[in-house]
Amino acid sequence: MKKTEPENPGAFSRRTFFKNMGTVAATAATAQVTSVAAELEKVNAEKVIGPNAVPVTLKVNGEKLKLLLEPRVTLLDALRNYSSLTGAKEGCDRATCGACTVLLGDTPIYSCQKLAIEAQGHEITTVEGLAKNEKLSKVQQAFLDKDALQCGYCTPGFVMSVTALLKKNPNLNADDVKHACAGNTCRCGAHPRILQAALKAAGVETASKTEVIDYA
Amino acid sequence: MPNWPAETKYISRSTARVDAPEKVTGKARYSSDIQANGWLYGMILRSKWPAAKIVSVNLDRARQISGIKAAVLARECPFNIRYYGEEIAAVAGSTKQSCLDALRAIEVQAEVRHEFVVNETEARKADSPPVWENSPNAPANPRAHENGSVDTAFPECAAVSEGFYSTPVQIHNPMETAGNTVSWTDDGLTEWSSTQGISSVRDGLAGALKLEHSKVRVITEYMGGGFGAKFGAGVEGVLAAKLSKEAKAPVRLMLTRFDQALAVGNRPSSFQKIKIGALADGTLHAFEAENYGTAGIGAGGDSGGGGGGADIPMPYIYKVPNTRVKQSAVAVNAGAARAFRAPGHPPASFGMESAMDDLAAKLGIDPLELRLKNDPNEIRQREYKLGAEKFGWKEKYHKPGSSKGVVKTGIGCAGAAWPAGGGSRDTHGDAQINPDGSIEIRLGVQDIGTGTRTVIAVVAAEILGLKPEQITVRVGDTNFPPGPGSGGSTTCPSVSPTVFDICTKALQQLQTQSGIADARGANWFAACKKLGVNPLVVRGQWQQGLSADHACGVQFAEVEVDTETGLVTVKKVLAVHDCGLIINKITLESQINGGIIMGMGYALYEERVMDDLSGVVLNPNFETYKLPGIADVPEIEIILINMPERGVIGIGEPATVPTAGAIANAVFNAIGARVGSLPITPAKILAALGKVPPFVTA
Amino acid sequence: MKAFEYATAHSTDSARQLVADKGAYLAGGNDLLGLLKDYLVSANILVNIKSLPGLDKIEPGKNSWTIGSLVTVAQIEDDAHIKKVFPGLHEAASEVASQQIRNVATVGGNLAQHSRCWYFRHRDTVCLKKDGDLCYARNGENRYHSLFTGNSCISPVVSSLATIFASFDATAIVLRDGKETRMNMAELYHRAWENPLAHNSLTNGDLILRVEIPTSRPRSAYLQASDKHMFDWALVSCAAAAEVVDGKLKSPRVALGSISPVPHQVEAANQFLDGKVLDEATATQAADLILKDAKPLEHNAYKVPLAHALIRRTLLKLKGDA
Repeated sequence: MKKTEPENPGAFSRRTFFKNMGTVAATAATAQVTSVAAELEKVNAEKVIGPNAVPVTLKVNGEKLKLLLEPRVTLLDALRNYSSLTGAKEGCDRATCGACTVLLGDTPIYSCQKLAIEAQGHEITTVEGLAKNEKLSKVQQAFLDKDALQCGYCTPGFVMSVTALLKKNPNLNADDVKHACAGNTCRCGAHPRILQAALKAAGVETASKTEVIDYA
Repeated sequence: MPNWPAETKYISRSTARVDAPEKVTGKARYSSDIQANGWLYGMILRSKWPAAKIVSVNLDRARQISGIKAAVLARECPFNIRYYGEEIAAVAGSTKQSCLDALRAIEVQAEVRHEFVVNETEARKADSPPVWENSPNAPANPRAHENGSVDTAFPECAAVSEGFYSTPVQIHNPMETAGNTVSWTDDGLTEWSSTQGISSVRDGLAGALKLEHSKVRVITEYMGGGFGAKFGAGVEGVLAAKLSKEAKAPVRLMLTRFDQALAVGNRPSSFQKIKIGALADGTLHAFEAENYGTAGIGAGGDSGGGGGGADIPMPYIYKVPNTRVKQSAVAVNAGAARAFRAPGHPPASFGMESAMDDLAAKLGIDPLELRLKNDPNEIRQREYKLGAEKFGWKEKYHKPGSSKGVVKTGIGCAGAAWPAGGGSRDTHGDAQINPDGSIEIRLGVQDIGTGTRTVIAVVAAEILGLKPEQITVRVGDTNFPPGPGSGGSTTCPSVSPTVFDICTKALQQLQTQSGIADARGANWFAACKKLGVNPLVVRGQWQQGLSADHACGVQFAEVEVDTETGLVTVKKVLAVHDCGLIINKITLESQINGGIIMGMGYALYEERVMDDLSGVVLNPNFETYKLPGIADVPEIEIILINMPERGVIGIGEPATVPTAGAIANAVFNAIGARVGSLPITPAKILAALGKVPPFVTA
Repeated sequence: MKAFEYATAHSTDSARQLVADKGAYLAGGNDLLGLLKDYLVSANILVNIKSLPGLDKIEPGKNSWTIGSLVTVAQIEDDAHIKKVFPGLHEAASEVASQQIRNVATVGGNLAQHSRCWYFRHRDTVCLKKDGDLCYARNGENRYHSLFTGNSCISPVVSSLATIFASFDATAIVLRDGKETRMNMAELYHRAWENPLAHNSLTNGDLILRVEIPTSRPRSAYLQASDKHMFDWALVSCAAAAEVVDGKLKSPRVALGSISPVPHQVEAANQFLDGKVLDEATATQAADLILKDAKPLEHNAYKVPLAHALIRRTLLKLKGDA
């Protein structure tokens, strides 16, 4: 997984400092060099933000959300309570149920256990960002076709986990799906159909084993 | 008498869930998603003591926290706390963070009581601390219900089995916790509630807030599961309304997952001592049982009082000529029980069906044979036979514990009966047919994930000769014609006849008004056009003759038990269920899958754990309150017994009743030793196999 | 969570300075954020260490590999080379929690994670680890707790990576007061054995930099048993590593997790196995030795036969597909 350096408002890198210094540092006499070194030390001290709200920019589903958030606000909180993106759900707020699953880049994470400020600099995808021009994604369509949902509260999380898996492994099998979705909880019991939907999205057709027998 | 059509295009087939697009795209707005203008976040402060007298509560410092707009008490001081997690106060603020800070700033003066009891076996003892003053935790001499004469019957038996079977307190734990978003208007109050009963919420709110019913509107467009826990306004609903009034802004107050395990219901436990005897030919002859369980401080909504609601039907589905049953509920300092998917039946089925297999072992016969010999119900008899054939029972059956190897396989079965499931005559709805041919059907019922909207669309499409996707279904609003709460597996048999009636009447009126004799199908748009400018609105209600009650069901389970580690894998469950006329097959199958998986959780993983010393719930989370995951779920096969002549019957509850019994019996068949206590954990399996060293106190 | 400041450190010096005595390092955040949400720990500043240079690599080597403390568990699981060279490590990584957690969880965080004892984790039971007077689990609900204890707290170490690292005789390099300190797994958890307040031997400001794994044990295996099939803490976990020469074990090490505050190893068992042919009989004897001094509590005695089975099976997995 490639880690992108999170954008950190206020952090001042050595490079930026030198760029701005231009020719001054290069032509300094000893005394000036010493004072430059002292300046360097000061700006290299990492910028501390918070505890009050700070500007946070989140790129979600291709669009920029410009918010004002305390550092302790989680990504899930930011989505649900500071924007209209309520697709990701709060099921436990303790990284145990997966209802809050979103993608950072191609990587599924629990948004309830990720600080919003640390989600900056990533391409965040939520369930609202999957359908293109009202057309359901392959995974969403498969969930619909296989009735891989009941109350629907866990559904966004599962859809994100399966979407991420399918991208990483287009030839997924049942074991892959279980491994990828073990971190998603469903109380209604849609699991068998979620498995079928994931396989269908990968082009593998399965059928529920149901027989209807007339009593009479 | 109305009749369902004999030939159908949509009924009994499979139509995709009509609200699936909203759910898979995140467009569906649940009560926890509502973002009313200027809304505030609400949060509840709960008691950290299992027993205390709250003398005073100071909200001043909490009110001063930046962002806090309201703070209210749950009750007038002084008041008693009787369980860990009981509500004390609530706050509303512009952010979650301000609420968290405010809760920590609330000052509570309490006289903490160190006398409390959370263990039901301890609570029964005469010297146990009383949960309610001047009231014993359990009746000293519970009444016995008797039939025939057990004392003379037992000696007549060729085989008698005695066993002890227990089930834990189970927490509903729907994915969406309990809660509401509340907004006061000039006219009254709107509450978006995560509920199974919009009318019950309205009733509760109106009463608590002294409002006229007509001023209270409850909306539940989508809700994230209930399983019986979500009826009534709840303490949290009333608190949200009070906060909203004080703050003059909408308030969204959802319980946390932690809170969910403490205060909004659970399934009572059971401790069943069963003695069962049969004659030489296998006929059940005598049955004696003593059972007790806890419904917390009592059964009911906000607080029960006393110890009601832990009784279970015994000897469940079997008719035994000589019986004696004594049951009692035990009060403990824990949250009150609430109805939970087939109340009383899963523990009853588990205990009884375990006893049956133990008796079969004593008799030396196949437990399926014992059931066929004794099950009085014709439908279940048929279900057992059909299921056994498909399952391969005869080929797979072996004597308990006789399979070879370290990993042993076993099979088991169990039966269910669900007496309810009939329709409610208090179901109303209307249809609005527009001149452009669009149609909207409105019912004041809920879709709790069962597929109610789809059922409505399917029945309407069938009667009107349209496609289900042409029907706009609106549910979950007390502004719509009223319907029953979603419980008892009654929703499908309530709405189906109602929609039948609405659409039959609407069709007649449309035909009359348009002059077109048959307005269905191809003639629909022409007929509608003739309406002119005004839509046609037709009201209907539930009609007799299209639904029935009482569903059965049997389930077969195949398990593997690793006898060295105690780990259990359920390989397969075959469910054979009847529910009268099948309205929509694909959503029906999902209901059965869900019931089985919930039953499997009950059998193998779920248990509310209380700590005796501190009185707290130790596992108010998904980490140690364990729900089945996708890797635990077995292969599920379903046989649906089609009985269209009976009309529509519900399925939600019967589907979860026999699963634990079937799995427990399969485990017994695999290892030849009985684990009579749910959940069946590796620890209990290893103990049953005699592999656990005895505990020696230091 | 209580309010906190936040800063991203770009050097270990500034990280240490920023954390001072009341701050906390933030890597993946799975454990820390949960602890903060339940007010189990306090931190006035969270110092993001994910930008510290040079700590996020998996570096192969002839005699030992080095895994940076910021490497995620998912990276370990997905690394084809690790799967070949340290198969036990691959297995352990693949069973950690869930995919979503593995994607952000770091090696350092996994090793440093706090106790999962439900009394410790409960906001309203003030147990020994929270400076209370009492271990509630000892006479209470102890089904998940230790068979071996060194002090009154009976909470076991649950890091799966610690278990497998112990079998490799891996070393954690910890930056303490500006100096690199080497700790094997026994040393990394020793303080938890001695002191009920401790989760491991790390003290305020310590930062795990990397783990060095010797390549001297080309055969390795890991197994865990849980109530559920996936995403469930281990009831018991077992790791074994060795070289196998002419069918005989060389330098074998067997470690158990979730049954002691430290990864449980019995030197006598390792010595017994050394030079032996691996079969049911030797595996059984080794298991007996490893569990000999187990002191079960009222509800966790099942862990003894369970551990016994896991030890035998993990050892026999070292035979490979021969």
